[in-house]
Amino acid sequence: MSVHFPQKKLPYLLLLPQLVITFIFFLWPAEQAIEQAFYQEDAFGLSREFVGLDNFIDIFQDPQYYTSIGVTLIFSFSVAFLGMALALWLAVMADRVIRGKLAYQTLLIWPYAVAPALAGVLWWILFDPSMGPVALWLETVGVEWNHFLNGDQAMILVVISATWKQISYNFLFFLAGLQAVPRSLIEAAAIDGASPAKRFWDIVFPLLSPTTFFLLVVNLVYAFFDTFGVIDATTQGGPGVSTATMVYKVFNDGFIGLDLGSSAAQSVVLMGLVGIMTVVQFRYIERKVEY
Amino acid sequence: MSDLVLENIGKTYANGYHAIPSIDLNIEQGEFIVLVGPSGCGKSTLLRMVAGLETITQGDLLIKGERVNDKEPAARDIAMVFQNYALYPHMSVYDNMAYGLKNRGVNKDEIDTKVNAVAVMLGLEELLSRKPKQLSGGQRQRVAMGRAMVRDPKVFLFDEPLSNLDAKLRVQMRVEIRELQRKLGTTTLYVTHDQVEAMTLADRLVVLNKGHAEQIGTPMELYDRPASTFVAQFIGSPSMNLIPTAVKSEYLQLGVDIRLPCPQLADQKLIWGIRPEHVEICAAEEADVMLSVKAVEALGAETLVHGSLQLGDGNTPNFVVRLAGHHTPKSGERLPLRVPKSAWHLFDAETQQRVEKSCN
Repeated sequence: MSVHFPQKKLPYLLLLPQLVITFIFFLWPAEQAIEQAFYQEDAFGLSREFVGLDNFIDIFQDPQYYTSIGVTLIFSFSVAFLGMALALWLAVMADRVIRGKLAYQTLLIWPYAVAPALAGVLWWILFDPSMGPVALWLETVGVEWNHFLNGDQAMILVVISATWKQISYNFLFFLAGLQAVPRSLIEAAAIDGASPAKRFWDIVFPLLSPTTFFLLVVNLVYAFFDTFGVIDATTQGGPGVSTATMVYKVFNDGFIGLDLGSSAAQSVVLMGLVGIMTVVQFRYIERKVEY
Repeated sequence: MSDLVLENIGKTYANGYHAIPSIDLNIEQGEFIVLVGPSGCGKSTLLRMVAGLETITQGDLLIKGERVNDKEPAARDIAMVFQNYALYPHMSVYDNMAYGLKNRGVNKDEIDTKVNAVAVMLGLEELLSRKPKQLSGGQRQRVAMGRAMVRDPKVFLFDEPLSNLDAKLRVQMRVEIRELQRKLGTTTLYVTHDQVEAMTLADRLVVLNKGHAEQIGTPMELYDRPASTFVAQFIGSPSMNLIPTAVKSEYLQLGVDIRLPCPQLADQKLIWGIRPEHVEICAAEEADVMLSVKAVEALGAETLVHGSLQLGDGNTPNFVVRLAGHHTPKSGERLPLRVPKSAWHLFDAETQQRVEKSCN
């Protein structure tokens, strides 16, 4: 179906605001980043020199870059797995509730509306080694909590805060997915002698696989690229670089270290990653997962 | 001893709604019982209560003498065929049929033997490795039945299993279901809203209306002696003509043409019921009633004539006549009809219950 406008220019005029925003905030900076990746610039931005692929060669020879890749992978898969597992569990529970269903569902969606920085600060306070209630409680059960010193604990903290934000989103999709599973299938399985747990793993979970796969990609993209705010507000990538993901390292090297060339080269690598993930997402999800 | 017994079975929902006030039913081993009624009459609820998918809030449900009210569906040894077939979409036909056996810990070889035997019986051998969505509606229906049969349960439950099929396939499957059930001899409870399906399949019919059984009996008992106007209208197609009338001074007040002394039914309001197929065209001087023709539906083997009766008291109730073969009355024509007294049904206008006519 196509719509015909009497004037030829009107459609373009209507599109213009969106195009301008896309150009100024997305395409232009991306172009700048690609350009910058091939230059070495001084810290004050006064002079620059074309260095070809040197920035890329540098980052791939830098052991710290591989550390950040490792951190990113651990962080992303932990967030995706935890976020999805907890959301699925909550969705199954909320799906069973008969009274006050809407209230539960609404409350479970709220965290999604909290700004990432606020979420970070919230968890930062809860886990603060000297005054955070969770940290104090952990001390009473024998766990010495100090994410300023302990890299693993810092990782746990950013994973928790990043996961918490994402659960609501996953929850919504899982709930919709669960509600789309025909009741008669579960009843048929019950008559077929499957226990409630078996019904879930044999019937419901496989039928959720399109949702699960979609969420896996979305969650990985989120954890890769959209968690800067949470990390910055919670650990600032520390202690050391134990929670510095690739995105955080772009910021750190560029705006703190003022090595704009390397930072730009890292951005270009991330751009490539986003591209690949987008292709995966469209290729497989648009066609839906077969079962 | 009856195979499946419903004793004073009732269902009241938490919100106080009486879905089923009370039903008593004794089903013999191997009997094919059809629960029939309009939508919302409680027939599916009753079936689901037998299956264990709905709780029973009153009465006892016995399968082979054992009370199963509080047993899980799986422990009742029943199998159910759902309206939408409820095949597991991610499993092959084979796995769909084997799932119930696997869950019961039957060993692999035995599962294989049983599934293959049922597949042969239903003509599904070629389809065992397919997924449900690669099957036609009729094949899915067969797989759903196969899944029920493979476990050799005590009772089969069918919940409107044919309503998603096209008309031709429905007739074919209807015959197949009846044959299979006879062959297997498994006690069956079958829900439908289609009265033709009900009549052709059932050993005995249960006509449900608003959660209570209007009448239980063989299809022919229900056809010949409907216990109420509800059953009279529900069984038979087109449904029975029901004409309100009254008895005054021992005569049925249908008009000048029909007079019948009914001493037992003095001054009572009645409903006069005549099946469309029990009326015949006759010469004008022998006519009991005159039909003013409004529309004619010619179906080849039979002709349905819709019109209104011209009664002496001035009433012109709608009336349908079913005539064998070809007839071409014109719209507006007046057809003289004879209504044999043996074909009369009388119902009390207040209670809608059958009144035994003993007034000839």
